[in-house]
Amino acid sequence: MKPLIIKATEDTPEIIFDPLNNVFKISNVSLPENAIEFYAPVLAWLKKYREEANPTTVFDFNIEYLNTASSKQIFELIFLIDKINQKSNVVIRWHYDKIDEDMHALGIRFTNLVNVKFEMVEYEKSILDEDQDDDDENFF
Amino acid sequence: MIRRKNINKPLKITYDLFQRVENGDFEYIYRGNFTQTLTRKILSLAETNLQKLVDKSSLQNRIYFIMVEGLQNVTRHQDDLSGSSGDTGDTGDFSGIFAIQKKGNRYLITTGNLIVNSKVDSLKQRLERVNSLDREELKNLHREILSTGELSDKGGAGLGLIEMARRSGNKLSFDFEYVDLYWSYFYLQTEIPSRGELGIEEHDITDNESIKSIKSLNHLLSKKDILLNFNGNFNQNNILSLLSIIKGQMSMSSPAKKVYYIMVEMLQNISKHGENIEDYPDGNSGIFYLSQTEDDFILTSGNYVESSKVDVFKERLEFINELNEDELNDYFNKILLDQSAVDPQKTGLGFIDIRLKSHRKIAFDFTKVNDDYSFFTLQTSIKLK
Repeated sequence: MKPLIIKATEDTPEIIFDPLNNVFKISNVSLPENAIEFYAPVLAWLKKYREEANPTTVFDFNIEYLNTASSKQIFELIFLIDKINQKSNVVIRWHYDKIDEDMHALGIRFTNLVNVKFEMVEYEKSILDEDQDDDDENFF
Repeated sequence: MIRRKNINKPLKITYDLFQRVENGDFEYIYRGNFTQTLTRKILSLAETNLQKLVDKSSLQNRIYFIMVEGLQNVTRHQDDLSGSSGDTGDTGDFSGIFAIQKKGNRYLITTGNLIVNSKVDSLKQRLERVNSLDREELKNLHREILSTGELSDKGGAGLGLIEMARRSGNKLSFDFEYVDLYWSYFYLQTEIPSRGELGIEEHDITDNESIKSIKSLNHLLSKKDILLNFNGNFNQNNILSLLSIIKGQMSMSSPAKKVYYIMVEMLQNISKHGENIEDYPDGNSGIFYLSQTEDDFILTSGNYVESSKVDVFKERLEFINELNEDELNDYFNKILLDQSAVDPQKTGLGFIDIRLKSHRKIAFDFTKVNDDYSFFTLQTSIKLK
Protein backbone atom coordinates (compact mmCIF):
# COMPACT_ATOMS: atom_id res chain seq x y z
CA MET A 1 0.00 0.00 0.00
CA LYS A 2 1.29 3.47 -0.90
CA PRO A 3 2.37 5.56 2.09
CA LEU A 4 0.48 8.70 3.02
CA ILE A 5 2.85 11.62 3.39
CA ILE A 6 1.56 15.11 4.15
CA LYS A 7 4.02 17.90 4.81
CA ALA A 8 3.48 20.23 7.74
CA THR A 9 2.28 23.76 7.13
CA GLU A 10 1.96 26.64 9.56
CA ASP A 11 -1.42 25.33 10.68
CA THR A 12 -1.58 21.67 9.70
CA PRO A 13 0.44 18.71 10.98
CA GLU A 14 2.97 16.52 9.29
CA ILE A 15 1.55 13.09 8.64
CA ILE A 16 3.59 10.06 7.78
CA PHE A 17 1.71 6.77 7.44
CA ASP A 18 4.22 4.40 5.91
CA PRO A 19 3.29 0.70 6.17
CA LEU A 20 6.45 -0.51 4.43
CA ASN A 21 8.74 1.05 7.02
CA ASN A 22 6.11 0.64 9.70
CA VAL A 23 6.16 4.32 10.63
CA PHE A 24 2.92 6.03 11.55
CA LYS A 25 3.07 9.49 12.99
CA ILE A 26 1.30 12.81 13.23
CA SER A 27 3.32 15.75 14.47
CA ASN A 28 3.51 19.56 14.81
CA VAL A 29 0.37 21.65 15.12
CA SER A 30 -3.18 21.14 13.96
CA LEU A 31 -5.09 24.41 13.75
CA PRO A 32 -6.80 24.36 10.36
CA GLU A 33 -9.98 26.36 9.94
CA ASN A 34 -11.49 23.47 8.10
CA ALA A 35 -10.39 20.36 9.97
CA ILE A 36 -12.92 18.11 8.25
CA GLU A 37 -11.47 18.90 4.86
CA PHE A 38 -7.91 18.40 6.04
CA TYR A 39 -8.53 15.05 7.73
CA ALA A 40 -10.83 13.57 5.08
CA PRO A 41 -8.01 12.01 2.99
CA VAL A 42 -6.29 10.80 6.16
CA LEU A 43 -9.45 9.01 7.26
CA ALA A 44 -9.92 7.57 3.77
CA TRP A 45 -6.35 6.24 3.78
CA LEU A 46 -6.81 4.61 7.20
CA LYS A 47 -10.00 2.90 6.07
CA LYS A 48 -8.03 1.22 3.31
CA TYR A 49 -5.13 0.42 5.61
CA ARG A 50 -7.57 -1.35 7.91
CA GLU A 51 -8.07 -3.99 5.19
CA GLU A 52 -4.38 -4.81 4.95
CA ALA A 53 -2.88 -3.69 8.25
CA ASN A 54 0.59 -4.76 9.40
CA PRO A 55 0.56 -7.32 12.21
CA THR A 56 1.72 -4.58 14.57
CA THR A 57 1.16 -0.86 14.16
CA VAL A 58 2.34 1.89 16.48
CA PHE A 59 0.73 5.28 15.95
CA ASP A 60 2.66 8.24 17.32
CA PHE A 61 0.50 11.28 18.02
CA ASN A 62 2.91 14.07 18.75
CA ILE A 63 0.87 17.23 18.40
CA GLU A 64 1.99 20.44 20.02
CA TYR A 65 -1.23 22.42 19.64
CA LEU A 66 -4.64 21.61 18.30
CA ASN A 67 -7.99 23.34 18.02
CA THR A 68 -11.26 21.72 19.04
CA ALA A 69 -12.25 21.20 15.40
CA SER A 70 -9.09 19.06 15.09
CA SER A 71 -9.78 17.20 18.37
CA LYS A 72 -13.00 15.94 16.85
CA GLN A 73 -11.21 14.77 13.69
CA ILE A 74 -8.31 13.25 15.65
CA PHE A 75 -10.91 11.29 17.56
CA GLU A 76 -12.35 10.07 14.26
CA LEU A 77 -8.86 8.78 13.42
CA ILE A 78 -8.56 7.09 16.79
CA PHE A 79 -12.00 5.58 16.37
CA LEU A 80 -10.84 4.02 13.10
CA ILE A 81 -7.55 2.92 14.62
CA ASP A 82 -9.61 1.21 17.31
CA LYS A 83 -11.28 -0.81 14.56
CA ILE A 84 -7.91 -1.76 13.05
CA ASN A 85 -7.02 -2.97 16.52
CA GLN A 86 -9.71 -5.63 16.23
CA LYS A 87 -7.72 -7.26 13.43
CA SER A 88 -4.12 -6.59 14.30
CA ASN A 89 -2.02 -5.42 17.19
CA VAL A 90 -2.15 -1.63 17.59
CA VAL A 91 -0.68 0.82 20.08
CA ILE A 92 -1.23 4.58 20.23
CA ARG A 93 1.61 6.59 21.73
CA TRP A 94 0.22 9.91 22.91
CA HIS A 95 3.04 12.43 23.31
CA TYR A 96 2.48 15.52 25.42
CA ASP A 97 4.52 18.36 26.83
CA LYS A 98 5.07 18.05 30.58
CA ILE A 99 3.55 21.49 31.19
CA ASP A 100 0.56 20.84 28.97
CA GLU A 101 -2.07 19.40 31.27
CA ASP A 102 -4.75 19.87 28.63
CA MET A 103 -2.97 17.76 26.01
CA HIS A 104 -2.48 15.10 28.67
CA ALA A 105 -6.18 15.31 29.60
CA LEU A 106 -7.20 14.94 25.97
CA GLY A 107 -5.13 11.75 25.66
CA ILE A 108 -6.74 10.36 28.79
CA ARG A 109 -10.17 11.33 27.46
CA PHE A 110 -9.52 9.36 24.28
CA THR A 111 -8.26 6.26 26.12
CA ASN A 112 -11.55 6.15 28.01
CA LEU A 113 -13.60 6.18 24.83
CA VAL A 114 -11.85 3.38 22.92
CA ASN A 115 -10.26 0.00 23.59
CA VAL A 116 -6.98 0.38 21.76
CA LYS A 117 -3.92 0.45 23.97
CA PHE A 118 -2.60 3.94 24.79
CA GLU A 119 0.86 4.80 26.02
CA MET A 120 1.18 8.28 27.48
CA VAL A 121 4.61 9.71 26.65
CA GLU A 122 5.66 12.82 28.52
CA TYR A 123 8.40 15.05 27.16
CA GLU A 124 9.96 18.33 28.19
CA LYS A 125 9.79 20.90 25.47
CA SER A 126 12.46 23.07 27.06
CA ILE A 127 14.96 20.27 26.56
CA LEU A 128 13.94 19.48 22.99
CA ASP A 129 13.83 23.08 21.90
CA GLU A 130 17.11 24.25 20.58
CA ASP A 131 16.07 27.65 21.26
CA GLN A 132 13.27 30.07 20.68
CA ASP A 133 15.02 33.07 21.99
CA ASP A 134 17.23 34.39 19.32
CA ASP A 135 17.31 37.78 20.88
CA ASP A 136 21.01 38.17 20.68
CA GLU A 137 21.02 37.64 16.98
CA ASN A 138 21.30 40.81 14.99
CA PHE A 139 18.05 41.08 13.19
CA PHE A 140 18.13 44.52 11.64
CA MET B 1 -3.45 46.94 42.69
CA ILE B 2 -7.17 46.44 42.45
CA ARG B 3 -8.27 42.85 42.11
CA ARG B 4 -10.82 42.34 39.42
CA LYS B 5 -13.15 39.72 40.73
CA ASN B 6 -16.07 40.56 38.56
CA ILE B 7 -15.02 40.31 34.96
CA ASN B 8 -18.50 41.10 33.64
CA LYS B 9 -18.29 44.83 34.08
CA PRO B 10 -15.59 45.72 31.59
CA LEU B 11 -17.30 43.78 28.81
CA LYS B 12 -19.01 46.89 27.49
CA ILE B 13 -15.74 48.64 26.75
CA THR B 14 -15.01 45.96 24.14
CA TYR B 15 -17.65 47.40 21.86
CA ASP B 16 -16.33 50.93 22.43
CA LEU B 17 -12.84 49.81 21.50
CA PHE B 18 -14.14 47.89 18.51
CA GLN B 19 -16.00 50.90 17.18
CA ARG B 20 -12.77 52.84 16.88
CA VAL B 21 -12.07 50.95 13.70
CA GLU B 22 -14.20 50.84 10.58
CA ASN B 23 -14.75 47.77 8.49
CA GLY B 24 -11.83 47.11 6.19
CA ASP B 25 -9.48 49.13 8.39
CA PHE B 26 -7.42 47.77 11.20
CA GLU B 27 -5.66 48.71 14.34
CA TYR B 28 -3.00 46.60 15.91
CA ILE B 29 -1.56 47.68 19.21
CA TYR B 30 1.05 46.11 21.39
CA ARG B 31 1.95 47.37 24.85
CA GLY B 32 4.72 45.97 26.94
CA ASN B 33 8.31 45.00 26.69
CA PHE B 34 9.92 45.01 23.30
CA THR B 35 12.43 42.33 22.42
CA GLN B 36 13.96 41.67 19.03
CA THR B 37 12.04 38.43 18.66
CA LEU B 38 8.81 40.23 19.41
CA THR B 39 9.71 43.05 17.05
CA ARG B 40 10.19 40.55 14.29
CA LYS B 41 6.79 38.94 14.96
CA ILE B 42 5.08 42.31 14.99
CA LEU B 43 6.69 43.14 11.68
CA SER B 44 5.58 39.87 10.20
CA LEU B 45 2.00 40.42 11.37
CA ALA B 46 1.99 43.88 9.85
CA GLU B 47 3.59 42.56 6.70
CA THR B 48 0.88 39.95 6.20
CA ASN B 49 -1.74 42.63 6.54
CA LEU B 50 0.08 45.06 4.33
CA GLN B 51 0.55 42.59 1.51
CA LYS B 52 -3.17 42.07 1.42
CA LEU B 53 -4.13 45.69 1.74
CA VAL B 54 -1.48 47.56 -0.11
CA ASP B 55 -0.98 46.78 -3.74
CA LYS B 56 1.92 49.14 -4.29
CA SER B 57 5.14 47.63 -3.09
CA SER B 58 6.83 51.02 -2.78
CA LEU B 59 4.19 51.96 -0.24
CA GLN B 60 4.66 48.65 1.55
CA ASN B 61 8.36 49.32 1.77
CA ARG B 62 7.84 52.78 3.16
CA ILE B 63 5.45 51.57 5.82
CA TYR B 64 7.78 48.73 6.69
CA PHE B 65 10.79 50.99 6.95
CA ILE B 66 9.00 53.42 9.26
CA MET B 67 7.79 50.56 11.44
CA VAL B 68 11.32 49.23 11.80
CA GLU B 69 12.65 52.67 12.72
CA GLY B 70 9.87 53.22 15.22
CA LEU B 71 10.29 49.84 16.86
CA GLN B 72 14.04 50.31 17.06
CA ASN B 73 13.47 53.62 18.77
CA VAL B 74 11.36 51.98 21.43
CA THR B 75 13.80 49.14 22.08
CA ARG B 76 16.68 51.59 22.24
CA HIS B 77 14.98 53.74 24.85
CA GLN B 78 13.97 50.64 26.70
CA ASP B 79 17.64 49.83 27.13
CA ASP B 80 18.00 53.24 28.74
CA LEU B 81 15.38 52.30 31.26
CA SER B 82 16.96 49.09 32.35
CA GLY B 83 20.34 50.75 32.62
CA SER B 84 19.21 53.77 34.54
CA SER B 85 18.84 54.05 38.24
CA GLY B 86 15.99 56.49 37.81
CA ASP B 87 12.94 56.17 39.91
CA THR B 88 9.82 55.60 37.83
CA GLY B 89 7.81 57.11 40.62
CA ASP B 90 4.20 56.18 40.80
CA THR B 91 3.95 55.03 37.23
CA GLY B 92 5.84 51.80 37.70
CA ASP B 93 4.99 51.27 34.07
CA PHE B 94 7.86 50.76 31.69
CA SER B 95 5.58 49.66 28.89
CA GLY B 96 6.31 50.87 25.44
CA ILE B 97 3.56 51.00 22.89
CA PHE B 98 3.50 50.27 19.19
CA ALA B 99 0.48 50.84 17.01
CA ILE B 100 -0.20 50.48 13.35
CA GLN B 101 -3.53 51.73 12.10
CA LYS B 102 -5.11 51.82 8.72
CA LYS B 103 -7.73 54.52 8.39
CA GLY B 104 -9.15 54.73 4.93
CA ASN B 105 -6.25 55.67 2.71
CA ARG B 106 -3.92 56.58 5.52
CA TYR B 107 -1.53 54.49 7.54
CA LEU B 108 -0.52 55.69 10.97
CA ILE B 109 2.42 54.31 12.85
CA THR B 110 2.74 55.34 16.45
CA THR B 111 5.28 54.48 19.09
CA GLY B 112 5.39 55.54 22.67
CA ASN B 113 7.97 55.12 25.38
CA LEU B 114 9.31 56.70 28.54
CA ILE B 115 12.26 59.02 28.26
CA VAL B 116 14.10 60.94 30.96
CA ASN B 117 13.01 64.54 31.29
CA SER B 118 16.52 65.84 30.78
CA LYS B 119 16.43 64.57 27.19
CA VAL B 120 13.07 66.02 26.27
CA ASP B 121 14.32 69.43 25.15
CA SER B 122 17.04 68.20 22.83
CA LEU B 123 14.71 65.62 21.29
CA LYS B 124 12.01 68.23 20.81
CA GLN B 125 14.51 70.51 19.10
CA ARG B 126 15.59 67.74 16.77
CA LEU B 127 11.99 66.94 15.87
CA GLU B 128 11.18 70.58 15.29
CA ARG B 129 14.21 70.96 13.13
CA VAL B 130 13.23 67.95 11.02
CA ASN B 131 9.70 69.33 10.70
CA SER B 132 10.93 72.76 9.63
CA LEU B 133 12.76 71.38 6.61
CA ASP B 134 11.35 70.69 3.18
CA ARG B 135 12.17 67.62 1.13
CA GLU B 136 15.27 69.01 -0.44
CA GLU B 137 16.60 70.31 2.86
CA LEU B 138 15.96 66.95 4.54
CA LYS B 139 17.91 65.25 1.81
CA ASN B 140 20.81 67.66 2.26
CA LEU B 141 20.81 67.29 6.04
CA HIS B 142 20.78 63.54 5.65
CA ARG B 143 23.77 63.71 3.34
CA GLU B 144 25.56 66.14 5.62
CA ILE B 145 25.19 63.92 8.67
CA LEU B 146 26.37 60.91 6.72
CA SER B 147 29.47 62.67 5.48
CA THR B 148 30.44 64.44 8.69
CA GLY B 149 29.57 61.43 10.79
CA GLU B 150 27.93 63.74 13.23
CA LEU B 151 25.50 61.50 15.04
CA SER B 152 23.33 62.09 18.01
CA ASP B 153 24.39 60.50 21.25
CA LYS B 154 21.61 57.96 20.90
CA GLY B 155 23.08 55.98 18.04
CA GLY B 156 21.71 57.78 15.05
CA ALA B 157 18.26 58.68 16.24
CA GLY B 158 18.71 61.93 14.36
CA LEU B 159 19.13 60.10 11.09
CA GLY B 160 16.18 57.86 11.91
CA LEU B 161 13.88 60.83 12.37
CA ILE B 162 15.05 62.41 9.13
CA GLU B 163 14.44 59.19 7.26
CA MET B 164 11.00 58.73 8.78
CA ALA B 165 10.03 62.21 7.66
CA ARG B 166 11.50 61.65 4.20
CA ARG B 167 9.89 58.31 3.58
CA SER B 168 6.47 59.27 4.88
CA GLY B 169 6.51 62.54 3.00
CA ASN B 170 4.96 64.04 6.08
CA LYS B 171 5.82 65.98 9.17
CA LEU B 172 6.35 63.94 12.29
CA SER B 173 3.72 64.31 14.96
CA PHE B 174 4.93 64.05 18.50
CA ASP B 175 3.95 64.68 22.03
CA PHE B 176 5.65 64.62 25.40
CA GLU B 177 3.53 63.76 28.36
CA TYR B 178 4.91 64.64 31.74
CA VAL B 179 4.88 61.61 34.02
CA ASP B 180 6.84 62.66 37.07
CA LEU B 181 10.01 64.48 38.07
CA TYR B 182 12.17 62.01 36.23
CA TRP B 183 10.15 60.67 33.31
CA SER B 184 8.08 61.78 30.38
CA TYR B 185 6.20 59.64 27.93
CA PHE B 186 7.19 60.32 24.35
CA TYR B 187 4.72 59.69 21.51
CA LEU B 188 5.85 59.74 17.93
CA GLN B 189 3.47 59.32 15.05
CA THR B 190 4.09 59.10 11.35
CA GLU B 191 1.33 59.29 8.81
CA ILE B 192 1.81 57.65 5.46
CA PRO B 193 -0.71 58.57 2.82
CA SER B 194 -1.36 55.69 0.45
CA ARG B 195 -2.49 57.91 -2.39
CA GLY B 196 -0.94 60.88 -4.06
CA GLU B 197 2.60 62.00 -4.27
CA LEU B 198 5.23 62.04 -1.61
CA GLY B 199 5.80 65.37 -0.01
CA ILE B 200 2.30 66.43 0.85
CA GLU B 201 3.57 68.69 3.53
CA GLU B 202 0.42 70.54 4.40
CA HIS B 203 -0.48 67.81 6.86
CA ASP B 204 -1.64 69.77 9.87
CA ILE B 205 0.23 68.73 12.95
CA THR B 206 -0.96 71.49 15.20
CA ASP B 207 -4.34 69.89 15.67
CA ASN B 208 -3.49 66.25 15.70
CA GLU B 209 -6.54 64.23 16.54
CA SER B 210 -4.97 60.87 15.91
CA ILE B 211 -2.08 61.33 18.31
CA LYS B 212 -4.59 62.49 20.93
CA SER B 213 -6.68 59.45 20.24
CA ILE B 214 -3.70 57.12 20.63
CA LYS B 215 -2.79 58.86 23.88
CA SER B 216 -6.22 58.35 25.35
CA LEU B 217 -6.27 54.80 24.03
CA ASN B 218 -2.91 54.10 25.65
CA HIS B 219 -4.27 55.36 28.97
CA LEU B 220 -7.30 53.15 28.62
CA LEU B 221 -5.29 50.10 27.60
CA SER B 222 -2.94 50.69 30.48
CA LYS B 223 -5.81 51.08 32.94
CA LYS B 224 -7.28 47.80 31.71
CA ASP B 225 -3.86 46.14 31.68
CA ILE B 226 -4.21 45.34 27.99
CA LEU B 227 -1.04 43.97 26.41
CA LEU B 228 -2.17 43.26 22.92
CA ASN B 229 -5.10 44.47 20.93
CA PHE B 230 -6.04 43.52 17.40
CA ASN B 231 -9.01 45.23 15.91
CA GLY B 232 -9.79 44.52 12.30
CA ASN B 233 -10.71 41.72 9.98
CA PHE B 234 -9.88 38.23 11.13
CA ASN B 235 -8.74 35.54 8.76
CA GLN B 236 -6.51 32.51 9.24
CA ASN B 237 -3.44 34.48 8.18
CA ASN B 238 -3.85 37.18 10.83
CA ILE B 239 -4.74 34.58 13.38
CA LEU B 240 -1.55 32.63 12.83
CA SER B 241 0.53 35.81 13.13
CA LEU B 242 -1.20 36.82 16.35
CA LEU B 243 -0.66 33.33 17.72
CA SER B 244 2.98 33.40 16.83
CA ILE B 245 3.39 36.74 18.63
CA ILE B 246 1.86 35.24 21.74
CA LYS B 247 3.99 32.15 21.45
CA GLY B 248 7.13 34.21 21.06
CA GLN B 249 6.28 36.55 23.86
CA MET B 250 5.15 34.26 26.62
CA SER B 251 7.48 32.02 28.48
CA MET B 252 6.66 28.36 28.17
CA SER B 253 4.34 27.65 31.04
CA SER B 254 1.12 25.87 31.71
CA PRO B 255 -0.98 29.08 31.78
CA ALA B 256 0.68 30.29 28.59
CA LYS B 257 -0.33 27.06 26.84
CA LYS B 258 -3.90 27.55 28.00
CA VAL B 259 -3.92 31.14 26.77
CA TYR B 260 -2.74 29.89 23.39
CA TYR B 261 -5.40 27.17 23.13
CA ILE B 262 -8.20 29.50 24.13
CA MET B 263 -6.97 32.21 21.79
CA VAL B 264 -7.16 29.74 18.92
CA GLU B 265 -10.80 29.00 19.72
CA MET B 266 -11.77 32.64 20.18
CA LEU B 267 -10.01 33.89 17.08
CA GLN B 268 -11.23 31.10 14.82
CA ASN B 269 -14.69 31.62 16.21
CA ILE B 270 -14.59 35.17 14.84
CA SER B 271 -13.19 34.18 11.50
CA LYS B 272 -15.62 31.28 11.02
CA HIS B 273 -18.79 32.53 12.62
CA GLY B 274 -18.53 36.29 12.89
CA GLU B 275 -20.62 38.51 10.67
CA ASN B 276 -19.83 41.65 8.76
CA ILE B 277 -22.25 44.50 8.74
CA GLU B 278 -20.82 45.72 5.48
CA ASP B 279 -19.60 43.39 2.81
CA TYR B 280 -15.96 42.70 3.25
CA PRO B 281 -14.32 39.81 1.47
CA ASP B 282 -11.27 39.20 3.57
CA GLY B 283 -12.15 38.01 7.05
CA ASN B 284 -14.79 38.98 9.57
CA SER B 285 -14.49 42.15 11.55
CA GLY B 286 -13.82 41.72 15.21
CA ILE B 287 -11.60 42.56 18.10
CA PHE B 288 -9.38 40.53 20.34
CA TYR B 289 -7.36 41.69 23.29
CA LEU B 290 -5.27 40.09 25.94
CA SER B 291 -4.82 41.65 29.35
CA GLN B 292 -2.81 40.67 32.34
CA THR B 293 -3.70 41.48 35.92
CA GLU B 294 -1.93 40.48 39.07
CA ASP B 295 -3.69 37.09 39.12
CA ASP B 296 -4.91 36.37 35.63
CA PHE B 297 -4.55 36.54 31.93
CA ILE B 298 -7.83 37.85 30.57
CA LEU B 299 -8.88 37.06 27.01
CA THR B 300 -11.63 39.06 25.36
CA SER B 301 -13.08 38.83 21.89
CA GLY B 302 -15.88 40.68 20.19
CA ASN B 303 -17.68 40.31 16.89
CA TYR B 304 -21.02 40.84 15.21
CA VAL B 305 -23.65 38.13 15.24
CA GLU B 306 -27.10 38.14 13.70
CA SER B 307 -29.60 39.56 16.16
CA SER B 308 -31.98 36.73 15.33
CA LYS B 309 -29.43 34.22 16.69
CA VAL B 310 -28.73 36.00 19.96
CA ASP B 311 -31.28 34.01 21.95
CA VAL B 312 -29.87 30.71 20.75
CA PHE B 313 -26.31 31.76 21.60
CA LYS B 314 -27.36 33.03 25.00
CA GLU B 315 -29.19 29.85 25.79
CA ARG B 316 -26.23 27.73 24.73
CA LEU B 317 -23.75 29.77 26.76
CA GLU B 318 -25.98 29.78 29.82
CA PHE B 319 -26.44 26.04 29.48
CA ILE B 320 -22.68 25.48 29.21
CA ASN B 321 -22.02 27.82 32.14
CA GLU B 322 -24.41 25.84 34.33
CA LEU B 323 -22.59 22.53 33.78
CA ASN B 324 -20.12 21.31 36.36
CA GLU B 325 -16.77 19.81 35.44
CA ASP B 326 -18.08 16.23 35.17
CA GLU B 327 -21.04 17.26 33.09
CA LEU B 328 -18.77 19.28 30.81
CA ASN B 329 -16.57 16.24 30.30
CA ASP B 330 -19.57 14.05 29.53
CA TYR B 331 -20.87 16.59 27.07
CA PHE B 332 -17.46 16.85 25.39
CA ASN B 333 -17.37 13.05 24.98
CA LYS B 334 -20.91 13.00 23.67
CA ILE B 335 -19.95 15.40 20.88
CA LEU B 336 -16.85 13.35 20.07
CA LEU B 337 -18.89 10.17 19.80
CA ASP B 338 -21.72 11.77 17.87
CA GLN B 339 -21.05 10.96 14.23
CA SER B 340 -23.68 13.44 13.11
CA ALA B 341 -21.98 16.36 14.86
CA VAL B 342 -20.11 17.26 11.73
CA ASP B 343 -19.12 20.78 12.62
CA PRO B 344 -18.19 20.67 16.29
CA GLN B 345 -18.12 24.45 16.50
CA LYS B 346 -21.85 24.50 15.90
CA THR B 347 -22.35 22.18 18.83
CA GLY B 348 -20.52 24.48 21.21
CA LEU B 349 -17.45 22.25 21.58
CA GLY B 350 -15.26 25.34 21.53
CA PHE B 351 -17.14 26.89 24.46
CA ILE B 352 -17.01 23.64 26.41
CA ASP B 353 -13.32 23.42 25.79
CA ILE B 354 -12.81 27.01 26.99
CA ARG B 355 -14.71 26.23 30.19
CA LEU B 356 -12.74 23.05 30.84
CA LYS B 357 -9.38 24.70 30.24
CA SER B 358 -10.11 27.89 32.18
CA HIS B 359 -12.02 26.19 35.03
CA ARG B 360 -14.26 29.24 35.01
CA LYS B 361 -17.58 30.38 33.70
CA ILE B 362 -17.58 32.27 30.46
CA ALA B 363 -18.51 35.94 30.69
CA PHE B 364 -20.47 37.24 27.74
CA ASP B 365 -22.52 40.17 26.57
CA PHE B 366 -24.74 40.97 23.61
CA THR B 367 -25.21 44.59 22.62
CA LYS B 368 -27.85 45.28 20.06
CA VAL B 369 -26.46 47.33 17.19
CA ASN B 370 -29.55 47.33 14.99
CA ASP B 371 -32.39 44.97 14.11
CA ASP B 372 -30.09 42.77 12.08
CA TYR B 373 -26.90 42.70 14.10
CA SER B 374 -25.71 42.52 17.66
CA PHE B 375 -22.23 42.76 19.08
CA PHE B 376 -21.15 39.67 20.95
CA THR B 377 -18.43 39.92 23.57
CA LEU B 378 -16.84 36.87 25.10
CA GLN B 379 -14.40 36.87 27.97
CA THR B 380 -12.53 34.31 29.97
CA SER B 381 -9.44 34.21 32.11
CA ILE B 382 -6.58 31.94 33.05
CA LYS B 383 -4.94 31.92 36.42
CA LEU B 384 -1.30 33.00 36.32
CA LYS B 385 -0.68 30.73 39.32
